[in-house]
Amino acid sequence: MFPELELQSILEPAAADTIRQVVSDVLETMFFSEAETTPCDHAWLATAPGACVRFEGSHSGDMLLGISLEAADAIAGGFLGLDSPELTDTLRGQVLQELANILCGALLSHLWPASKLALASPEITAWQEWPVQELASETVLHRCFLLPEGMLALSIRLISAARAEPAA
Amino acid sequence: MAYCVLIVDDSPVMRSFIRRVLTLSGFEVGECIEAGNGEEALALLGAHPVDVILTDINMPGMNGEELLRRLGSDGILKSIPALVISTDATKERILRMLSLGAEGYMSKPFTPETLREELERVLGDRNVSRA
Repeated sequence: MFPELELQSILEPAAADTIRQVVSDVLETMFFSEAETTPCDHAWLATAPGACVRFEGSHSGDMLLGISLEAADAIAGGFLGLDSPELTDTLRGQVLQELANILCGALLSHLWPASKLALASPEITAWQEWPVQELASETVLHRCFLLPEGMLALSIRLISAARAEPAA
Repeated sequence: MAYCVLIVDDSPVMRSFIRRVLTLSGFEVGECIEAGNGEEALALLGAHPVDVILTDINMPGMNGEELLRRLGSDGILKSIPALVISTDATKERILRMLSLGAEGYMSKPFTPETLREELERVLGDRNVSRA
C-alpha cells in the first residue's frame, strides 16, 4: 500500500494546483498553446483521442489524457511547426503520445520529486471514466482544461502496491 | 561558425521538435544528425564527428544510460559533451545521469532559451569540430 501521507497529498488543494500549473507550463512551453482549468463536461470525450501512460516505482498507477479533435490538431501543429493540412494521423498520434509522456513525467516529478519512477511508453487509447475517489485500493484525481481550440481532460490514478501490475 | 549536433531520441516528433527549438533559440547549428537509440548514435559517431550530443533516456535497444557508459569508456568519444533531455525530473535520475558523465540535464518542458544557455554552458571554450 502507498503511505497514508501520499494518499492525502494527491487530494490536497496544493496537488490540484500543481497539476494546473504543470499542464499550463507544458502546453505553453512546448506546444505553444494555453490551458485553463474549467468545469467538467465530458460529452466531447466520447469521440476524443486519448493516451495513457503507466508508471511504477515508489508510486504506481497511470495517467490518462483525452483531447478534443480540434485541440489535438492545434497541439500537433504547434509542436511540429506545421499547418493543419500538413498533419497526418500518424503525426497527430505521435504528438499525442509525446504530450502524454511529457505531462506524466512533469506531473510526477513535481508531485513527488524524491520518488523513483519508471514510465512505460504511452499508448493511444479511448477515454475511460475513472470515478474520482479515495479508496484503500486506489486514488483518482481528475481535472478538465479549456484550450483556445478545444478541451483537454486529465486523470491520474494511484494504485496500491497490492493491486499494481508491472508497467510494460 | 556553427556546431554539429547529434539528437538521440526514439520519438521522431521529439527529434523534429528539438531541431525546431534549436533553430528558434538562435543557437548556431551547422548540421543536425539524428539517431533513434544508443546503438544508432554510436554507429553515427564512428563516422561523423559531432560537437555535442542531446540524448533521451528511455529508448528501445540501447538506452541513454548505456549510451553514456559507452561514451565514457571510449577514449575519443568521451570528450564530446552530452546533455540529457528527459521527462523525468526526479532528483535520483538527474544525479544518476550526471554521475554517468552527462554534462547537463534538461527536463521537459524547456524553452528554446534554456536549451541555448545549456548548450553554450557545456560547449564553453572547447575546441570543437565546427561543421
